[in-house]
Amino acid sequence: MPAPISATTTPAPDDAPPPATMVEVRDFSFYYGAKQVLHSINLQIPEKQVTAFIGPSGCGKTTLLRNLNRMNDLIDGIRHDGDILLDGTSLYDPSVEVISLRKRVGMVFQKYNPFPKSIYENVVFPLRVAGRNGRAELDEVVERSLRSAALWDEVKDRLGESAYGLSGGQQQRLCIARAIANRPQILLMDEPCAALDPVATLKIEELMHDLKKEFTIVIVTHNMHQATRVSDYTAFFYLGKLIEYDRTAKLFSHPGNPQTEAYISGLFS
Amino acid sequence: MPAPVPERFLVSKSTLRFDRLMTFVIRFGGIAIVLAVFGMCLFILLEVIPLFKSAKVEAVSTVPLSSSSEKKSLPKIFGLDEWSLLPFTYDGQNTVRFIDRTGAAPTTEHSVDLPAGAAVTAWRYHPGDQKIVLGTSDGQVGSFTVSYETDVDAAGQRTVTGSIEMGSFYPLGTPGQPISDVDFGGSGEDQLFAATQTTPDRIELHALLLKQKRTLMGSGEVEEIGRIDLTSQLKGRPTRLLVPRTGDAVVVATTARTVEYFFREDDTLSLRQEFSPMDGAAGGSGEIASMDFVFGDVSLVFTSPTGAMRLWSLNVPPGSDQRVFVYTKDFDVLPAGATLFAASQRNKSFLTGSQATVTLRHATTTVTRWEEKLPFTPTSVAVDGKFEHAGFLDDQGILHLYEIHDPHPEAGVPAFFHRVWYEGAARPDFVWQSTSGNDEFEPKLSLVPLIFGTLKGTLWAMFFAVPIALLAAVYTAHFLPADIKRIVKPAMEIMASLPSVVLGFLAALWLAPLLENRVPSVLLCVIGIPAAAMLTGWIWSRQTARVRSRLRPGLEWLAFVPILIGTVALFWNLGPSLERAVFDGDFRQWWPKTTGTSFDQRNSLVVGFMMGFAVIPIIFTISEDALAAVPPSLTAASAALGASRWQTVSTVVLPVASAGIFSALMVGLGRAVGETMIVVMATGNTPIMEWNLFNGMRTLAANIAVELPEAPVDSTHYRTLFLGALVLFGLTFILNTIAELLRQHLREKFKLV
Repeated sequence: MPAPISATTTPAPDDAPPPATMVEVRDFSFYYGAKQVLHSINLQIPEKQVTAFIGPSGCGKTTLLRNLNRMNDLIDGIRHDGDILLDGTSLYDPSVEVISLRKRVGMVFQKYNPFPKSIYENVVFPLRVAGRNGRAELDEVVERSLRSAALWDEVKDRLGESAYGLSGGQQQRLCIARAIANRPQILLMDEPCAALDPVATLKIEELMHDLKKEFTIVIVTHNMHQATRVSDYTAFFYLGKLIEYDRTAKLFSHPGNPQTEAYISGLFS
Repeated sequence: MPAPVPERFLVSKSTLRFDRLMTFVIRFGGIAIVLAVFGMCLFILLEVIPLFKSAKVEAVSTVPLSSSSEKKSLPKIFGLDEWSLLPFTYDGQNTVRFIDRTGAAPTTEHSVDLPAGAAVTAWRYHPGDQKIVLGTSDGQVGSFTVSYETDVDAAGQRTVTGSIEMGSFYPLGTPGQPISDVDFGGSGEDQLFAATQTTPDRIELHALLLKQKRTLMGSGEVEEIGRIDLTSQLKGRPTRLLVPRTGDAVVVATTARTVEYFFREDDTLSLRQEFSPMDGAAGGSGEIASMDFVFGDVSLVFTSPTGAMRLWSLNVPPGSDQRVFVYTKDFDVLPAGATLFAASQRNKSFLTGSQATVTLRHATTTVTRWEEKLPFTPTSVAVDGKFEHAGFLDDQGILHLYEIHDPHPEAGVPAFFHRVWYEGAARPDFVWQSTSGNDEFEPKLSLVPLIFGTLKGTLWAMFFAVPIALLAAVYTAHFLPADIKRIVKPAMEIMASLPSVVLGFLAALWLAPLLENRVPSVLLCVIGIPAAAMLTGWIWSRQTARVRSRLRPGLEWLAFVPILIGTVALFWNLGPSLERAVFDGDFRQWWPKTTGTSFDQRNSLVVGFMMGFAVIPIIFTISEDALAAVPPSLTAASAALGASRWQTVSTVVLPVASAGIFSALMVGLGRAVGETMIVVMATGNTPIMEWNLFNGMRTLAANIAVELPEAPVDSTHYRTLFLGALVLFGLTFILNTIAELLRQHLREKFKLV
């Protein structure tokens, strides 16, 4: 629907001082085998802001997102050039422990994926794998995380029950609670609302406003309305290239690139 | 009328027809499979059920044995031929009559040539060799033999003719005094007559030892080598006298409630044992009402006047080196002391009874196979040589022929599943020994050692296979890079297709001799390899991320392989030194000396390795599938939350895959339980009951494979093998049912919905 898009939220005004950079992507190229999927990406993701990656399918936005916590390492035959810096340190430095990197950079997936365990055990999973098993601490983390994920009131009476008893939207919020239980610095969200209905989507979006007070959020989304609603910065990818990156309000109202304009006005998807 | 449907919406006739045909074929196939399985179970069940049936004994005909002239005097002895067609009677004087059972042929009479001037005063019939032993009024003992000849004419009609053959008479004891009881034993060189003789002031006991010379021409002259008066060694007056068929002993029951057991050594006869067989029997004071041998002449059945019945068998008690009679069993109580007794010449069954109550019992299992109150008063009983007919002679001189249908007297739940005290054994035990070269051999059919062997083999195999297969599956599914997994998985599946006969062959001819000499090396490796693996892992985990990043995740095994090879080489060669230092230089000697159990070349270690080798690919493949089927979204979630690979596997993957892994274990267990060829070839097939790793076992499956070709169809042995198959089926059925229930439970617990 090529209707004009108006931001329903009010991101920081254009003239506000730029926030500190959390992640810096430098000349980053990425290959699956012989196929290059990212071409020399340069990008700075600001701290405690929501940054949205948009673009048509296959544009590389999810690949870049999954490189921010090196989830792509699980795939065979990958290769990259350039670098990604987190707080000034390269993610690919040989001394970086991938496990501890992933503790710093949490992730929420497109399809909600709670473990076949109780709600309680799902939330405390990151603590348990870190060897923290103190009952008091776990209880406190469960309540804090579920409150942050706006799920506490709905599940506080059935923490011991299976996570699969929850609705889809609740399960996704549980996954968010689980991802923030260990207080990562960055929260990556890969189309977190793709499998949810509009009501659940709205809840997650509201949640993101609260979460960005504490976390730096990077979200991949297909839904441009969502990008305008939740994000402060938006990066538009097309065919593995970063076409445009700017404040969301600016990118949607005055796109600097004709491809961006064509995309946000719905000429292709 | 509805409007016609346009043709393009119609389904073609051939599609519908084919659909119906395929539906029918598939339904038929499904039902046929179910029926086939049920049919097999039914067949096995039908083969097995007769084992648990009790005997059927039915009256078939009556034959008057006394001729009209001697109505008042009953025949002293009667006997049956093999087919029970031509019973004979002996009147206790000069006449043996052969009486056609059907009355078709006339009765033939044969005359017994007694020494001049002698009358018969004692007699004894041995149905085994159809010998009648006689004692005379003037103190002589002798015998004659009834022999039958069977002709089968062209029409298949069987005609039996009887004749008698006289043996020699020997004077015994005090000349001129009448013999009151007599018995004879001996089939080979050594022969023995024993007799009691009534003299005016006492009853004497005499024995006559004979030796039959063997020449190149066959049996030669019989020579008297000793006459022994045993009277002085008796506690009381002798009441019953028995000589076993080996002719090496005299067993005498006395009025003093004791039994004296005299044993022959060359030309002497000495008292070996004196015992009170019915001591403490309920309701009596230890008197002996009857004493008889069961088939084999190794066990004695005693009854007391109150009807208590006991079995005493010859065996070597612990701490002794002589065979003596030992009290082994009790039977159900009879109404009174036995007045009838006839032992089967085929098995350990015997017919006994008091007054009109007769009963068929089995000496080994002590089970009463049949019992009935007869409508007449039997005075004596005989069983034919095939254990197919029993004849009861009533007080009117009429022979009542009964058909015995008891094909499996030695079978039954106690024989298969309880400890049984067999003749010659020092204690009751579970024994499987189904065949032997000896005619008097009694099959021992306990399934317990076989079940034990099955479990033992399975357990050792699983002990070896499960850790390797599961760890390999976990590593392949969640650690190895995909390109290497593409090689490993099919390779393991090829390993599963190795025929077990090849594995058994390797086990028996290559692995067994190899391991025999290198047990300490194997023990070192079993401890050393996991230790080396864990140590390597620990050292690796202490390295910095910079060092570890040199190897791509999933390729760490490249670093471990040289260490593994080095470890095996080291421990394998260290084995002999350990053997010298700890095991006195030779483990094969040290193990039996230290533990008291045997060391065999074909042992559970070999089977454990080889059957483990057969089971590993099955467990590996199925559990790898289950592990790899865990949704990547869960492993990704776990990884994204900062879990290490091992934490992901142990906390997320294993619980989710647990149902599948459990199935894998059960399929592997089922394979190990039913595995036949490896076990047949590599275990030595000894049906023993020891958990000892260094001796063999006999499993149910191997037992069937080894013995079924030699078991006559429908024999007890044959049916018992089918029972073994049924037990095996039951075993796997129970295992699978438990497994399925647990699996359902696990699946419910970790279902991904």
